[in-house]
Amino acid sequence: MKRVILKGFLPGTLLLLLGMVSAVADPLLDDADWLRTMAFAAHQTNYSGIFIYQAGGRVEMSRITHLIDRQGEHERLQGLEGPRREIIRHNDRVWMFVGDKKVKFGKRHVRRTFPALLPEQILTLKESYTVTQEEEDRVADHHAHTIRFQPKDTLRYARKMWAHSDSGLLLKAVVLDEHNKVIEQYAFSQLQIGGKIDRKWVPDSESETEEITVREHLSPLPQANVESLSSGWQVDGIPAGFKKIIEMRRTLAHRESPVVQIVFSDGLAALSVFIEQLGEVEHPRLGLSSHGAVHVYRKLIDGMYVTVVGELPPRSVLQVAESVRYAGMPYE
Amino acid sequence: MKQEISALMDGELFEDEAEVLLGKLKRQPDGSRDWATYHLIGDVLRQPEHIRCGFTESFHRRLQAEPTILAPRQHKPQRVKHYALSAVASVMALALVAWLSMQIGNEPAVQMANIQQKNAVRPAAYQVNDYLMAHQEFSPSADVQGAATFIHTVAAKQ
Repeated sequence: MKRVILKGFLPGTLLLLLGMVSAVADPLLDDADWLRTMAFAAHQTNYSGIFIYQAGGRVEMSRITHLIDRQGEHERLQGLEGPRREIIRHNDRVWMFVGDKKVKFGKRHVRRTFPALLPEQILTLKESYTVTQEEEDRVADHHAHTIRFQPKDTLRYARKMWAHSDSGLLLKAVVLDEHNKVIEQYAFSQLQIGGKIDRKWVPDSESETEEITVREHLSPLPQANVESLSSGWQVDGIPAGFKKIIEMRRTLAHRESPVVQIVFSDGLAALSVFIEQLGEVEHPRLGLSSHGAVHVYRKLIDGMYVTVVGELPPRSVLQVAESVRYAGMPYE
Repeated sequence: MKQEISALMDGELFEDEAEVLLGKLKRQPDGSRDWATYHLIGDVLRQPEHIRCGFTESFHRRLQAEPTILAPRQHKPQRVKHYALSAVASVMALALVAWLSMQIGNEPAVQMANIQQKNAVRPAAYQVNDYLMAHQEFSPSADVQGAATFIHTVAAKQ
């Protein structure tokens, strides 16, 4: 079984597995390694639980289920209150359900071709954050280690994470601003790790995924073409410690024309700059919008729509958006 | 035929329909003449300052002497399909604007051209979720959170 699960994995992921084992075995190991352990556990653990999310004045209760099998990863998030709100992910394909019959589509456009947390990213992380292990705790009746990522400036948020001591699974996370005010937090209130988990929603094979799609009148959008490129767009105002991860041209759901996406990361938070041509949008909604710790700022620059998305304080997102400029070859 | 030519110019024909029509145009001199005339109208609308006076007047004369754009359709309304109405309307608008532009300068022509351009745009609603999803694929903190990161997409709007 173990061999089946590991089949097809990048060598880097295998290193993560080793990292996980030693992190659990050796409490004196580098605190930042907990992040890799948590990332590994998030993808490689079967679990199901109720989790509470709180941002601003809102509290939401959801059920999260994650399964890994020969087909890969299956993930489901169900809102437990109000009208049906649900997201199902099978590997790189994502379906979103809103309301009773009405269906919205979304999808993960890129299969991750690299482990998100490479050793050099851990180094990047330490440029911007002080990582410390705090008191051990209990979350949803599970023993947890607590790790705090304290930024060295006010351009990014602080995070505190509770990791399951045995599996490394993230049990609770809090995002804090510079005044230690909670921006968003979530925690499992009940969690089953391993054991018998409902998998009726998981297709037996790829072809069955197609059948489900037809039966439920869903249509996953075709795989997007992602093309790495140098777009000629320059982002000067990225906060210190952020490094460019990827620059590409891709398609997004709900639009035909390609979009340029440039992603920066400080090892923990990420920042995406989307640039697209005008004329695709019926009602341009410009300005700032908040989604918990994620802020989105949209503006017009040189007749193009620039959309900056990041789990960063609003002023950092604004600073980035204001600095976007065209410096290169003509945009095609 | 004229409706079809107009539709072709408006980009309203499917590829196979367009190919059939282009084949017809090659064979029929009448069709080719209509095609050229409609393009002339378009050129006048887009760049009236480049049209010399003598040309404009002769064009005006020809336009007035040639009621074919409107008349056949009025005589044979039963043959005009519903979908062709927009093409008729746009040809009428083009003719009217061409005439107006010769009477009072090029301003209305510019306005009409702008309106037509706006109507041609196929709108797509801005959905912030598309950006959130596209962003999360690359976020290390989202990677650690697993499905929980989707809460930003699913959560009720603030």
